[in-house]
Parts: sequence; C-alpha cells; structure tokens
Amino acid sequence: MINDKDSQKIVDYIQNFSRKHSLFVMAYGTGCGAIEIPATMTSRYDAERFGIRGAATPRQADVLLITGYLATKTLKRVIRVYEQMQEPKYVIGFGSCTINGGMYYDSYNTINALEQYIPVDVYINGCMPRPESVISGFIKLQELIQQGKADNGKRYRENLEWYRANQKKIIKNWKMPDYNW
Amino acid sequence: MTDLIKEQKLLENVTNPFKIKGRVIRNRRVEVFCDKETVSSVLLYAKTQLGYIHLAHMTCIDWIDENKFELIYTIWSPVEKVHLFVKTKIDRENPVMENIDKIWDQANTYEREMREMFGIEFPGLIGEHDFALEDWDEMPPMRKDFDTHQYAEQTYYNRPGREDAKDVRETLVERSGTEVPDFAKKYSRER
Repeated sequence: MINDKDSQKIVDYIQNFSRKHSLFVMAYGTGCGAIEIPATMTSRYDAERFGIRGAATPRQADVLLITGYLATKTLKRVIRVYEQMQEPKYVIGFGSCTINGGMYYDSYNTINALEQYIPVDVYINGCMPRPESVISGFIKLQELIQQGKADNGKRYRENLEWYRANQKKIIKNWKMPDYNW
Repeated sequence: MTDLIKEQKLLENVTNPFKIKGRVIRNRRVEVFCDKETVSSVLLYAKTQLGYIHLAHMTCIDWIDENKFELIYTIWSPVEKVHLFVKTKIDRENPVMENIDKIWDQANTYEREMREMFGIEFPGLIGEHDFALEDWDEMPPMRKDFDTHQYAEQTYYNRPGREDAKDVRETLVERSGTEVPDFAKKYSRER
C-alpha cells in the first residue's frame, strides 16, 4: 500500500518540475525594460533553453513581467491583466523602478513599490538589468516553484482587501470588472 | 561667418506690420515678442504671407517670479529654413489663451497637453479633458508650485533606505572610516 503523504510528494514534485520548465511570459512590456526581453529571448542568451517563452494573452500566460517604471495609468491595465491570468501565476518585478521607484522616485505619476499593489515573487534589480540578471531572476523563480514557495495567486486571493484598498488609493475612478476565480 | 541677411529681412517683415519687438538670436533663429491678442495675427501672417507653413512646436514656461506663463510658438519655413519663435506672456491666474487650431490642426494636441499640464484654458478646444493623465484632480503637475516630491511621498509607498542615498562617496567614507581621495573631492556635491 502506498503511503498517501509520500505519493502526494511525488505528484507535487512532478507537477512543480513541469511547471518550472514551461514558463510562458506574458508579452506585455511596461516602461523601458521591455527592450531587454528580445535580447534575452534571442539566440545569444536563448531563454528558451530554460523553457521561457512568450504567450499572447493573459489567460495563456504564467509569468507577468513588470519591466520598469509603472505609471498609475498603466497600473490599471496591469491589474486587469494580472487578474485575468489563471493560476499558477507568477510576477517578476524587473528593474529598480519596481523596487523603490528608481530614478522616478519623486514622480507624480509613477508608483514606487510594486508589491503594494500586486504580489511579487522575484525582484531583479539593476537599471537596466542585463540579460544575465534576467535569466538569473528566472532561475530563482524556478527554484521557488520547485520548492512550492511561489504562491502568488494564493497570496492575492487571501489578501485581496488589502491589495484592493491600496489599488483604489491610486486609481480614483475605479471602473473595472471583477474576476473572482 | 554669415551676415544674417535673411534673418534680418524676416525680422523686419514680421515686426514692422505689427509694431512689435524682436531679435535675431543667431543663424537661422529669430524671435519676436508680442501681446496675447496679437499672436494669432502674427502666426496667420507668417503662414500665409511669409511662407512659414510648419508649426514645429508649441510650449509653455512657468515664470513663477513674474507670475506669468510664457507661451512659445515655433514655426518653420521650408524655403527659408529659418525657425521663428513667437513668444507671449499671459497671466498666471485664470490663464486663458486664444485657440489657434483653425490655423494649424496639430496645435490641438499641444493645447490639450498644456491645458492638462499647466491648466491653461483654450476656448473651443476639441477633445476630452483627459489627455495623458488619468483621473487627475490635483493642481496641474507641471506648474512650479506643485511639489512633485512631496506629492509622491504622500501618495505612493516609500521604501525605507533612500534616506542615506545622498552622496555615494561620503556614505562609503562614513561606513568604512577612510578618507575621500583628493581626485574624488572635486566631484563631491557638498562643497
């Protein structure tokens, strides 16, 4: 008779292994960091050898990359994209601007810390991060997935009121559909 | 060098009919200063009579000490290849400026931007109120008395750790206890 706990472990291992090797990145570039993505994807750095590739729509994507500064106007679209994505989903904050505002820390129109509005798994620092750092950030994310620690969607669901309150503080005219899966 | 013949000729052609002042800045740059009411006539005259058919740019400067907004219209002639700057100053309180999108359609874009960023009203402007910003209900952000740093501190979350980001060299010296090398001192911000 197979022990249930152990068999669940094996299933989890296989599940996480396959998840971490097929990361579909949402093709949505905000700010200036999106220019590093083609360099990461193409033949010199070849991110596809790690299973990282583009996805056309939010519902097909696993990873949302926030590449660089995020204007409040863009934040509205980002939240909408993020909520349309299905679990398992992961968020990577890319560049200094998502961490503490970067060189736009005193701008009236860009947010300063991304994790106040949507949960973030991995931050990649640098302005701009080179493709090596981008790949290293993705490998860090893969490690988290393998250990079962990347629970982005769960964190968002559990702390939805807190995130919503923060989002509504910035976006004054809230006319958005609710995606509650 | 050149003796600025075409620039002088343009200056006379623009200033004499309207009795306004102006000067030649340098080769291929001429500026004229006029009243708020005269601007559209000068622009129309330059477009129809002198061949300055291209509106290159419109911009606004906030002279907060004089309590004025300065509006600058940059127009260009493809034949003469000279930039003509038409400058005017308007009051900073309740600023209203004549709408020139009957002369150039593309002025509409610049005027909408100025309405949003400086709060200057252009009567008869086509377009929704929001241009680049969304749901903005504060003071227009490009005015000089709008403190953008303070606004960002109040509105957005500030991660601790930026306080000691003043000068990298001095922070390093404080941490390590060594001295700043002489060659690096001349680049220091605190003199």
